Amino acid sequence: MKKGGVLAVILGVSLAAPSYLLAYTGGDVKDGGSISGTVKFAGSVPTPKKLEVTKDKEVCAKGAEKVDKSLVVSNGNVEYAVVSITDIKTGKKIDAKKINLDQQNCEYHPHVVAFPVGTPLEINNPDGILHNIHSYSKVNPTFNIAQPKFKKTVEVKIEKPEAINVKCDVHGWMNGWVVATDNPYVAVTDSSGAFKLTDVPAGSYTVQVWHETLANQKPVTMKVTVKAKEDAKANFELKK
Amino acid sequence: MAVRGVDEKEEKKSYGTVFLIGTALLVVVTLWSFWDDNFTRRPWKAFQTAFYRLDYQKAKAAYDEENKKLQADSNYQELMKKIAAEKQSLESGDLAKKQAALQSELDKTLIEFGKLDQQSKFIKSELEEAYYEYDHAIQQSRPVKPYKDKIDELEKRQNDVAPKAEAAKQKRDQLKEQIKKLGAGLKDLEDQEAKLTADREKAAAAMQNATLLNIHSIPVYKIPNIKQVALNEFDRNNFDQPVARADRCQTCHMAINRAGFEDAPQPFRTHPRREVLLADSAHPPEKFGCTSCHEGQGAAVNSVKAAHGEVEFWEHPLLRGAKVQSSCVSCHLNMQPLEDAPQAAEGQRIFEQIGCTGCHLVKGYEDIPKIGPSLRRISAKLDPSWTVRWVENPHKFRPRTRMPNFDFKQDEAVAITAFLWSLSKEEGDKWTQAHPEPSGINNSLAAQGKTLVESIGCKGCHGFAEGEFSTTVGKQHDLVPNLKDIAAKVGPRWAYYWIKNPRDYFPQTHMPSLRLSDQEATAITSYLMTLGAKTEPIANIEQQLADAKNVKRGEGLVRKYGCFGCHDIQGMEKESRIGVELTTFGSKKLEELFFGNHTDIPNTWDDWTYNKLKTPRTYATERVEQVMPQFDLADEDIKSLRLLLAGFQDRKVPARYQAEHGQRAIQVSEGRRLMQQYNCVGCHEIEKRGGFIRKYYQENPTLAPPILNGEGEKVQSPWLFSFIKGPVPIRPWLTLRMPTFQLNDAEVNMLVNFFNGMSKVDLPFSSFDENKVSKENIEAAKILVGKDYFNCFSCHQQGDKKPEGPAEGWAPDLTLARSRLNPNWIIKWLHDPQKVQPGTKMPSFFPGGPDNVLGGKDDLQIEALRDYIMSLGRGAPAAAPAAARPVPAKPAPGKPGVKGGVASR
Repeated sequence: MKKGGVLAVILGVSLAAPSYLLAYTGGDVKDGGSISGTVKFAGSVPTPKKLEVTKDKEVCAKGAEKVDKSLVVSNGNVEYAVVSITDIKTGKKIDAKKINLDQQNCEYHPHVVAFPVGTPLEINNPDGILHNIHSYSKVNPTFNIAQPKFKKTVEVKIEKPEAINVKCDVHGWMNGWVVATDNPYVAVTDSSGAFKLTDVPAGSYTVQVWHETLANQKPVTMKVTVKAKEDAKANFELKK
Repeated sequence: MAVRGVDEKEEKKSYGTVFLIGTALLVVVTLWSFWDDNFTRRPWKAFQTAFYRLDYQKAKAAYDEENKKLQADSNYQELMKKIAAEKQSLESGDLAKKQAALQSELDKTLIEFGKLDQQSKFIKSELEEAYYEYDHAIQQSRPVKPYKDKIDELEKRQNDVAPKAEAAKQKRDQLKEQIKKLGAGLKDLEDQEAKLTADREKAAAAMQNATLLNIHSIPVYKIPNIKQVALNEFDRNNFDQPVARADRCQTCHMAINRAGFEDAPQPFRTHPRREVLLADSAHPPEKFGCTSCHEGQGAAVNSVKAAHGEVEFWEHPLLRGAKVQSSCVSCHLNMQPLEDAPQAAEGQRIFEQIGCTGCHLVKGYEDIPKIGPSLRRISAKLDPSWTVRWVENPHKFRPRTRMPNFDFKQDEAVAITAFLWSLSKEEGDKWTQAHPEPSGINNSLAAQGKTLVESIGCKGCHGFAEGEFSTTVGKQHDLVPNLKDIAAKVGPRWAYYWIKNPRDYFPQTHMPSLRLSDQEATAITSYLMTLGAKTEPIANIEQQLADAKNVKRGEGLVRKYGCFGCHDIQGMEKESRIGVELTTFGSKKLEELFFGNHTDIPNTWDDWTYNKLKTPRTYATERVEQVMPQFDLADEDIKSLRLLLAGFQDRKVPARYQAEHGQRAIQVSEGRRLMQQYNCVGCHEIEKRGGFIRKYYQENPTLAPPILNGEGEKVQSPWLFSFIKGPVPIRPWLTLRMPTFQLNDAEVNMLVNFFNGMSKVDLPFSSFDENKVSKENIEAAKILVGKDYFNCFSCHQQGDKKPEGPAEGWAPDLTLARSRLNPNWIIKWLHDPQKVQPGTKMPSFFPGGPDNVLGGKDDLQIEALRDYIMSLGRGAPAAAPAAARPVPAKPAPGKPGVKGGVASR
């Protein structure tokens, strides 16, 4: 009876599990290659807008002056672009390690986090004032969780691939992105616009880049062929 | 020639073969008649047998599976072993020995107790006797001493025996208890077994239910018989006497009200949405049968076709597919809240909103107001050339208008316009004189006007560009006009005063006031005047309108086509509807429907009605004129409307079969109708429909108007009443304004009743006893709302205490809660705000309240918060009636482009 019950549960879960969860299977990758490159911005670089701290200044005004990070470009390199492989079915194991998103001085650090679906996302509040993390998702269920002073961390899981805007209703300027993908091959570009996807099994893949304000929020893709133990280049250029 | 008795040959001839054949024929015929009577003419028997087989096999499969599971379950096996051991022990093991010993002791005790008990009873009798003698002696004044002595002696004996008897009794009870306890272990084990095997036993019961006998797993199925439900007094005979209806559908549809046959082949499938539709509170089949909704020939069982009524001369064949929804109309006042009758609901909305009731009388729909605008002062509003073209064919200018096309020639349209102009001249001129041309209407303000239009909520009702719309009537009509070419129709003077106060021009209009300041009205008018080009004038239009011949002809046309059905026209207020009454239209017989010269349309009610709605004048002939105009309905709309019309039956369903039609149900229904007329659903989602303006707020739904699905449960009735009467700002972050509808008290009451009814609030007034609130709760809540905890006032206003930062980031004033919110709703809200109002800015604080307040219990903390919120603003004046409430006239903070006036959200 008990065994039957467990079996039924396993069967039920595997039947109920949406196809994208079944789509990717992780394992050991031998002689994997990598994909690296930079994301460039085509066009004149706008001056980043300064954000005005209108509330809780004793905490929020601390640290560096706040600027709008929805488009950060230095020397033509785009920071906070999300690069991922879209059509990979088998590859490296999905790391169960937690991902951190800090709300520090009333700002999200990092501004963009990207990870495979199902990874626990730990949202921290070192500020010691009330924040709330409000997700504006369309595919996943939305959440809006209060994080008062005594609640240092909140953990959420994103179950379906989606780029989700997160905001704080207490501090209107706070703006961040949580990007969940269906496989572990995802990276966010650094301040030099560079990214690297490692342990990629040899093969030909579609690599995409997505940015919160560029290319109408539509992903831009490119075909990349990876050879064993070699690094393949994928350089992108995004427009407004 | 053969002579009788003489033909030897004949005498010797044998007729054995003939007799044999005759006998064989007789046997065959007898068998055949038996067969025919029992099988051929009783096809339902085969269905029932098939069902019993299906039912049995299903149950058997379930049984086998459960059994297999149990056999594989070590817990079960262990339990069975324990039970066997226990039984064994009880029969011949340790327990049996114990039981035997106890039993023999019990036997002895029983004998002893019997003796003592008898003794005690005898003494009691003797005492009775002694007392009698004693009393008797007193009454006869004899000495009582001897009797007294006797009594004393007897009592002494009794005192000696009684405790012994009691002790024996107790011993007996103890022994009995001990014997019972010996069996308790087994009973307990058997209870555990019953729990484990519950599913299997259920399947076994189902197997037994389907069979008469079950010998060695060879099932003998039940003998088929007819399953009949009698719907008492459901029908009426030709003498209008109530008669019962026999409903035998479940003879074949045997699993209609049983779960588990959802995928079974027909006729054995479970009813869709069975839990809802066949629930005891809805339509239990043992009361309603099937034909009350589905029609068909309920009593017939000798063929599928006959049973479904799909035979000649049966007037109510089975209603297949969505058509069954037309039956809802017979018993339900209003289709709107019926989730399972979406097409009937849509049909009803179209029927009420496209103007059918302007020309056709239908009982229950008499009070729907005229849907068109008043034409009393039309000359002050419209461009005359535009009007002529509009009358000719309104769909040309505005394809999605509700106004139908009467297919007038231009000279007819001129005549009608001339008549309307002649009527409205006096009042129109008066209005124009009283409303001087507004100054400052200027193209340069158009952009500002556009911003206003897009931010204060105009788009909740109106479209301003091709393809923009809010609430629709059916698939291809707008409830409220699209204004993309408005400048062709009206001038700035009328537009300015209209948007400032619509009821000044037309006191019955559904258009509300958005409390626009002069500047705002000027800006919006400037914007509107950029939409579309002025109409090109028709040559000599002024003279043509003044021509008395045209006026006379126009009057005739207006009367003939019944324009007053939808419009308020001077002198025609009392005219009756020009169309036929449709109260029983669904019951019309084919011979009552006129097909004109059509031979291409199948002779059915459905086809007649479809074509009538598709091409209203299609049945006109040379001698029969038809005046019904073209509504340009989509096919889907025609089908929805036809569904509703099919429900307009002449039968009277007895009250006991009807949905609730009490005073309250009527009030809710009236309120819902009013809510639809005023297009509350343009902005708000109500009863899970509407909120059409939300499409402009997909990026940020928090800026959209609140969803009102549970409004009756949320707010207090007195507050709702005063808010609808005179809206005041509640949500500081909204630029949208809740309009002032200028409804009268009766109308607002209807709306309050509707919202309460919708949320199943039976008691609109309830109290919250503050004296019962504990100090502990208030103190705990004060900690919770504080800066170190939930920091509520970081966003919420508290009377005059405003939060930091811009108003967009603020949340409602918590001192309002006391008079506004239902205390129980606050609890529901705090538990999960996203569930109550999806997309709300209010985050969830629970689960996960702090551990150090009220023992860390979420429920207690939520209750404390509720108590505290209800205590805020105490001493402030109670919600004043709207009329007495001053409307502040200062500009809304931080909103460029919203100057003057107050923005209410």
